[in-house]
Amino acid sequence: MNFNYILGLSLAFLCSFPLSAQQELMLHSLPDVWHSTSTNPAFFPENKRIAIGLPGIGLDAAHSGDVSYKDIFVKKGDRTEIDFTNALDKLDPSNTVFFEQRIETASFGIRLPGKIWLQAGHANRLSGSVTYPKTLPSLIWDGNAQYIGQTVDIALQTDISNWNEWSVGLAKGFGNLQVGVRGKYLTGTTALLSDYNRQKATITTSEDIYQLSLATNYAFYASSIISAFDTAGLGFDLTLGELKGKAFSKNTGFALDLGVQYKLNEKLTLDLALLDLGGKITWKEQSNYFASQGEYQYEGVSLPGADIINGSDSLDFSTKLDTLNDIFKFQKTAQEFETTLPLRGYLGGNYAFSKRWSFGVGAYFQKRAEENATVAAGASVRWKPLQWISLGAMYSVNERSAANLGFHLVLKPGPVQLYFASDNLLNAFSVKNSPAVNLRTGLSLIF
Amino acid sequence: MLNNLTHSLTDMHKLLSLPLALVITMGIALWPACKKSDFENVELADHTAEFAFPLFTTDLLLKDLLFSTLNDTLSGDTVFVNADNTMTLFYSGDVAEKKASDIFNFLDTLVPIPMFDSIATNPIEGPDGVSIRIADLKEGGIAFRLRNTTPDKLTGYFEVTQMSFQGIPFKAPFDIDAGEDWFSGIIDLAGYHLESANDTLTFKYFAFRPDGVRIRVPNPGFGLDVVVVPQYLKFSYVEGYWGYQYYALTRDTIEIDINQTELKGDLKVKSPKVTMRISNSWGFPTRGVIKYLSFIGQGGEEIPLESTVFQYDSFDYVDFAYPSWLLGEQGQSKFTDITLDESNSNIADIFNSQPTRLIYEVNGLSNAQLDPSLIGFITDESVISLQLRVELLLEGSIKNFGAEQTLNLDFGEFGSLDSAGISDVEFKLVTENGTPISSDMQIYFRDATQNYIDSLFIGGPKEVIRAAPINNEGVTTGITRTEEFIPMQAARFDRIRLAKDAFLKTSFSTAEEGNTFVKLLATDKIVVKMGIKVKKRL
Repeated sequence: MNFNYILGLSLAFLCSFPLSAQQELMLHSLPDVWHSTSTNPAFFPENKRIAIGLPGIGLDAAHSGDVSYKDIFVKKGDRTEIDFTNALDKLDPSNTVFFEQRIETASFGIRLPGKIWLQAGHANRLSGSVTYPKTLPSLIWDGNAQYIGQTVDIALQTDISNWNEWSVGLAKGFGNLQVGVRGKYLTGTTALLSDYNRQKATITTSEDIYQLSLATNYAFYASSIISAFDTAGLGFDLTLGELKGKAFSKNTGFALDLGVQYKLNEKLTLDLALLDLGGKITWKEQSNYFASQGEYQYEGVSLPGADIINGSDSLDFSTKLDTLNDIFKFQKTAQEFETTLPLRGYLGGNYAFSKRWSFGVGAYFQKRAEENATVAAGASVRWKPLQWISLGAMYSVNERSAANLGFHLVLKPGPVQLYFASDNLLNAFSVKNSPAVNLRTGLSLIF
Repeated sequence: MLNNLTHSLTDMHKLLSLPLALVITMGIALWPACKKSDFENVELADHTAEFAFPLFTTDLLLKDLLFSTLNDTLSGDTVFVNADNTMTLFYSGDVAEKKASDIFNFLDTLVPIPMFDSIATNPIEGPDGVSIRIADLKEGGIAFRLRNTTPDKLTGYFEVTQMSFQGIPFKAPFDIDAGEDWFSGIIDLAGYHLESANDTLTFKYFAFRPDGVRIRVPNPGFGLDVVVVPQYLKFSYVEGYWGYQYYALTRDTIEIDINQTELKGDLKVKSPKVTMRISNSWGFPTRGVIKYLSFIGQGGEEIPLESTVFQYDSFDYVDFAYPSWLLGEQGQSKFTDITLDESNSNIADIFNSQPTRLIYEVNGLSNAQLDPSLIGFITDESVISLQLRVELLLEGSIKNFGAEQTLNLDFGEFGSLDSAGISDVEFKLVTENGTPISSDMQIYFRDATQNYIDSLFIGGPKEVIRAAPINNEGVTTGITRTEEFIPMQAARFDRIRLAKDAFLKTSFSTAEEGNTFVKLLATDKIVVKMGIKVKKRL
């Protein structure tokens, strides 16, 4: 099959999908790096028998729009100030913060006779998104006077989970085909999940005399992150649960990874993986449902007209602002709930042009519950100037940006594998100036 | 071996140097992104936020306003809500009354009655035209004196033929030695009943010698040897014939408080009605004779009342209602209302000139019908009184009618608010007026000793309440909304929120600048509300 034809078809195919802000394509393009097995259970470093995965970390985070760290955290002398002034101008009506963090603590792989590979490992994952309306920070920062006569949305939507993965995998070769499967036992640490059927929280400032109306039908689930939500004071007082790094908990679940790798010939390899199939966690430990529902009106003090006329009473302006603070009077009930892991998938191909050069294409998709699927696609080139050094670059596109320039560096002195990869090089080295960050690094020993 | 080892180490150094250098380079590049110290010493940047929230709302009902304004200065008023929600103000002025006993007194005297004979008949002293036939005494006494100028001891008694006590005729016995001077002492006549067919009292004495012969005691000269002395007799009930007789009834002044309120301004009422209510418990017909009846205006000028009602010899003029002896109505009071309105007098013009008092002098004429068989009565409680009752249907016009009121203030949490960061505030005063009355207003904020701090509006009063639209009957047909923005710098706001009272000075005018009559309805309402925008540095 003609390489150029495959490359062009892949790009055309990929570009037909909506593009997304999240991606981790660079690591997937390095199947010889032990940690890349997390992207396809069929991957195993070629010609190696034993792999010992040491700690590795991957971080992929982005904020929709152009808001960056520097837009919020502003350096003033020796101190840092939080200033939303610049950030607010850059916000969209609806904004989302995505983040994925994966910490590989330890893993192990062994090649057995008969083209069988076994692997096991532990990783901690944090995955989440927070969607918020621009009006919320704008209201808090600039006040409600700008919204006189308007009803503004102030509801947050969150889907955040932190869990541990205890995985055991098996891969087998069938000729040029390698098939891998990996089962993962999941133990949840913390979760914060909006109830998508109850996501209303609005505030109206009347044009009349600025009467305030607040309406809520808002609820969320939380496990081990919020044990109380007190609005009796002037603010929102969160009582956080004990966020100990619990390895095991009663919040359990399972997920399955499937992957294949097919070597068409000595030069061309294709691969496909579906990750976190059926992945869900049932949250039982310190799991609660917080719900707020009602409409609250604040119209100021009602002075009896007769008292004013008769002059029989003081005009008492003692306000009832305290009742405002109870508008989000959350009712807490102990309740189990489920979170679903975002389904992920990889599709890739690699062409070894020579011993030193290879080209690859890849696509990544992710589908969270209640959200649209997001897709990224890229094309990469890899250069191995020396046996133990690999350098690479990638061009990828996603929903947020059509100009992501990735980079990788792999060092393999002896049995050591040290790598650094990013799908967006500029973001990796200028986190503060960018609305997104994507980087991955790790260490392993391969024998 | 050592050489090999050295060579291996050298190779290793070369092998690892580059990766290490690259790691260090990457670390340096990543370090700015990950510096933990970025999150120490984090502060919120200074910025300004503006918050808007409501302050207060109040509904002022027109009828409450009227009730209060009038109750503050009038003691006898009532505002009545009619079926069609219009309101009528009833105001009753002071009562001028005259007791019958002030005019009609009988034997209220100390004048002695000499008895030149053993029988003496005296008319019952009283006002002209009145003949008593029955009386009950409540107070007073009678005394007798007899000087025995005969040589014999005399026994006997004095008698007043017409007087009795519980059916027992009055007798005052005596037993006098010859030459002695006997005095009975004052005999209390309280409770005695008197009946006389001809308006006279007959005094008799029966003096007997020891041999039983009745004699007449000589009473020469002024007749003081035998004398009867009545002692200020007071009657609780008198019944008799009242003839046609004029007598002075009353001269009095009635204050018209409704025009002496704190409300100053031009007030015109469409159809005022003044009712003179005569309450009469005198038991005989009395007709009033107006000698003088005038109102006194705001400037002290006299405004005579012109009316067809007081022509006493016209068919329209009748005796005051009175309790009838014939019908056994003793103890009752009867009422006569004489109503003055624009159909029978110039009261409308008088009232709209806002008079402050009414001065009148009225005489009475008893038995004007010259009824020869008239039997009348009075008691010690009988009074005839006059009260002016003003009835105003609240339909009219006012122009620049001023009112003042002091309100105590307590700004609550706002009073102790830390205003250090407040740069300025803006109040929004909204009125929604369903009444046909406009109002200019100014509020003066004062401290605890009522010293002036500031005023709400700069540059004088503002028309914050505009009259609602009216139809051709003067009834409101909608609501007029007025918005007034009152900006205020922080320093000024700081002073005002320390105020302890607000002196409210208002001036009211009805729709169309007070040139059209409007109807004030009980359901008319003004909603006054205020919000605030605060710009604060955070």
